[in-house]
Amino acid sequence: MRTGELIFMSNGIGRGKILIVDDSEMNRSILSDILCDEYDIAEACDGLQAMEILNKEADSISLVLLDIVMPRMDGFSVLSKMNEARLIETIPVIIISSENATLYVERAYELGALDYIQRPFDTLVVRQRSLNTINLSGRQKLLSSGSEEQLTKNEADMSTVINLLTNLLEYGDAGKGHHAENVRIITETILSNIGAISFKYKPSSADIQNVGIASMLHDIGMCFVDKNLLKGKTDEAIAEMQKHTVLGADMLEKLQGKEVNILLRRASEICRYHHERWDGKGYPEGLKGDQIPIAAQVVAVADTYDKLVNKRLNRHAVTHDEAIAKIMNGECGAFNPVLMIVLKSVADTLPAKLK
Amino acid sequence: MTVEKFYEVIGGDYAGTKARLMTDERIVRFVNKFPADGSYQLLKDSLASGNVEEAFRAAHTIKGVAQNLGFTALFISAEAVTEILRAGSLAVEDKMPDLDVSYKRTIDGIAQIDA
Repeated sequence: MRTGELIFMSNGIGRGKILIVDDSEMNRSILSDILCDEYDIAEACDGLQAMEILNKEADSISLVLLDIVMPRMDGFSVLSKMNEARLIETIPVIIISSENATLYVERAYELGALDYIQRPFDTLVVRQRSLNTINLSGRQKLLSSGSEEQLTKNEADMSTVINLLTNLLEYGDAGKGHHAENVRIITETILSNIGAISFKYKPSSADIQNVGIASMLHDIGMCFVDKNLLKGKTDEAIAEMQKHTVLGADMLEKLQGKEVNILLRRASEICRYHHERWDGKGYPEGLKGDQIPIAAQVVAVADTYDKLVNKRLNRHAVTHDEAIAKIMNGECGAFNPVLMIVLKSVADTLPAKLK
Repeated sequence: MTVEKFYEVIGGDYAGTKARLMTDERIVRFVNKFPADGSYQLLKDSLASGNVEEAFRAAHTIKGVAQNLGFTALFISAEAVTEILRAGSLAVEDKMPDLDVSYKRTIDGIAQIDA
């Protein structure tokens, strides 16, 4: 079966095993019935039993489908335990719940769940989301082991499409490629190192990946600004150019379906807020400090750096050292001090990574 | 009666359920499991003993199962009870009759589905 092959490719352990955690036997059996043709199934009737299984056979579980409201130990506690045991980094979790309160959804994502499926669920949706999630996390495992060339075809295709899109976007000028890719590389580098410095920001590998991909779309709103109004440095031209933040974010939000897609949400945050400033003097909303989503804060740093050093974007490009100095001393914006510390710590590694 | 007729009798959503679960065969298999689910009895017992947390989880489970199986009337009445219990209150006397009626109608209907 085709889907079976994909799973084989992505995690290298053959037929994947899905752990279904739900206190209702009915719900478990419906899910099991939908998935058992393509996956082995393990079942747990509450969080405690789920953790027993996870602790015993973490390596064999490709995915956890997790209910929230359960006796003895609920779904949030399972996510917390998985964080403590760092299982969340290697075993992807999809929440399946009838709770649609934003608070629940947000909390599940914050705790590292990759996806959220609302009841009543649809056979095809459950199958496809499970497959997608297993494939995505397969990529994480490969990336973390450093063998990037093993990316499965699916994920490589996704990157290619986004590259193509952003290259088209880069103002239709063939010579200006690679900015989006560079922003992604810098964004992922900062996020991968922020946890070591900050107690406040601890992105999971899933967060890093989502924000990294989403960062490539930061200027997608440039497609929608009126190019005729952009001539010169008039107030009108500046106002039109600044609209790219809102226009891009609005477009991405329209793509958002009934259930929250975290990649689209991050992309939309990034589009809307990557020109905000830590001191509140940015646009479009003049948000200040941590009112600005952290994903957008990081992309702002990455965008600023690449624009300073990228000869294809900037006729007056400066050297790496000058760029870092300008960002640090506040010549090119106002940024979160924590991000400045992280930038400083990873600065030396950047030139070799960028295109 | 047919599965479709059953859904009509219990105030359910046949079309939606069929679209989600895809085959009548699968729907019948799950619907037939429903009477064995102990959540309704657990809800009654928990209400009788005043255990609001257990009652909440039981009502919540009925709600979730009903939603998945497209038992709309039962889902709506279970949701009403769930929300009261979620808030920590046991004052569900007004809402339980609806749930009792929907539940009984559903169980009775299942017994009459063509084998």
